[in-house]
Amino acid sequence: MFVRDIIKGPVIAIASETTLEDAYRTMQEKRIRHLPILESGRLVGVVTDRDLRLATSALSPTPFPPGARVAEVMSRSPRTADPWDPVEESARTMRELKIGCLPVLEDDRLIGIITGIDLLDALIQMTGVDKPTSRLEVRLSDRPGELARLTSFMSHRDLNIHSILTYPEGKSVVRAVLRVNSIDNHSLAQALRRDEFEVLWPPEKPCLR
Amino acid sequence: MPSVIYHPAYQTYAFGAEHPFSPLRIEMLLELLGVLGHPVQTVAPEPATRNDILTVHDEEYVRRVEALSVGEEVPDSENFGLGTPDNPVFPGMDLAARWLVGGTLHAARLVCENKEKRVLQLGGGLHHARRKSASGFCIYNDLAVAIRYLAQQGLWVAYLDIDVHHSDGVQEILYNDEHVLTISLHESGQYLFPGTGEIHELGTGGGRGLKLNLPLEPFTEGESYLEVFEKILPVALQRFGPGVLLVQAGADAHYSDPLADLMLTTRDYEQIFRRILEYADLYTNGRVIFTLGGGYSLVAVPRVWAILYLLINNLPIVHDLPADWVLKWSQRLGQKLPATLHDPNPGYPDLPRRTEISHHNRREADRLLEATSRFWY
Ligand SMILES: [Zn+2]
Repeated sequence: MFVRDIIKGPVIAIASETTLEDAYRTMQEKRIRHLPILESGRLVGVVTDRDLRLATSALSPTPFPPGARVAEVMSRSPRTADPWDPVEESARTMRELKIGCLPVLEDDRLIGIITGIDLLDALIQMTGVDKPTSRLEVRLSDRPGELARLTSFMSHRDLNIHSILTYPEGKSVVRAVLRVNSIDNHSLAQALRRDEFEVLWPPEKPCLR
Repeated sequence: MPSVIYHPAYQTYAFGAEHPFSPLRIEMLLELLGVLGHPVQTVAPEPATRNDILTVHDEEYVRRVEALSVGEEVPDSENFGLGTPDNPVFPGMDLAARWLVGGTLHAARLVCENKEKRVLQLGGGLHHARRKSASGFCIYNDLAVAIRYLAQQGLWVAYLDIDVHHSDGVQEILYNDEHVLTISLHESGQYLFPGTGEIHELGTGGGRGLKLNLPLEPFTEGESYLEVFEKILPVALQRFGPGVLLVQAGADAHYSDPLADLMLTTRDYEQIFRRILEYADLYTNGRVIFTLGGGYSLVAVPRVWAILYLLINNLPIVHDLPADWVLKWSQRLGQKLPATLHDPNPGYPDLPRRTEISHHNRREADRLLEATSRFWY
């Protein structure tokens, strides 16, 4: 999944001479918390609702008046993303710099902005369910060919893997969580166990048969 | 006497000998009721028409079912959920599926025309069928067709689904319908097919707040199930004020079911069915339609549905099963059937985490009530 897949257009931006008051009103009206700032079409900064509140706070020793220009309080030369950046790379950048958004530039032109909420949407989409499927969780050795062995097992049974997520679990094992287009993941699990896969979900029922 | 809807053509809805959705379930049930001294008097429906089907399914989907049914090639069949391991193609599948829809529709007509208050449809309950896709052994959605019909006749319908799987097809088709309350109790979609049925799926538009989903923890047992069942049902039915209750009585929440992970016993099912009949008397003037549904443990399913039949007909719950029937089917299935109508007690060893599971389910039920309450007041 790339940044271009999760940006929502059209992007709302303001000019650097906009007043703090107007910038704040735009955020309220559009229900957003981040505004990219442009000068003659080029991105020069970002301002957040927090920036505005802090700049104008009565607690500040030198509060800005509502008529001050956003250029005076914005973060300059913000970190940006490319539409072809992988989503996870942007997440890492935002996490490391502790920032809440990344303006997205294509050939120096602002085409969008991604925020923490967009990354949560992406997470939901990547792990979510949008087709009727069953969950299957398998522990694999962390070595070449193991995942292939699992997926070819599915394809031999004419099953479609709708999504697959793997993550390391300790040193030499990975956990694979799959969603498969079958209601009967229990008999699938049994068959996998016969083939010496370690299936974590679905479990063998404690009592039966 | 409550009407029982059935036609031998139901048995043509069969995906092959190895497939879990087996016509043997009904064969065993009918035979069992017969040897118990209650040979079933059935009312024969007509198969549903193509137009009936089109009240809830897209024509592009129906066309493909029809084509596959007569052996034509349909290159994109898998996009419509057909020709998959769950829903293999079989000759005559269109008509076979229409028979089941016709039965549920016939049950709806009997109730709607005030000819009957309690009806049992010995088939159907195909709650996974989507508007334009087969899913989870379900080709046409008999429940949605019957609900649409009832709603068009001006009856507000409460739909209750106790199948272990979420009733995603019924929900999808009726998601914005303001005259239909749907309630589905199921093993959580985080663990079980089809993956949906979370509390936040509350409906859209006029149907907002009328689609209730209670996802339950794997290994939920009867006591916890009944607790949350009694927490949700009376409140929802009283608030909504339905004219009729339609129940999908799938039996796959039984502890011996090979496809899922809930732990109901036949005694739990007896209690659930008794509650449902009481609620129907209290909230829908006794008008209630039952369909069958999932249920893949041949050792359990005929007994669960026999209990349902006996209760609907106010017949006593017998203790022992006729030995001949037990012997015959034990041999035929190669599995030992119990000698009693109810499960052996206890049916399974004590489970760990019982308290946590009950606690979790209780909290989910509270969350559900809280989430819906703002749409009701
Ligand atoms: Zn089911």
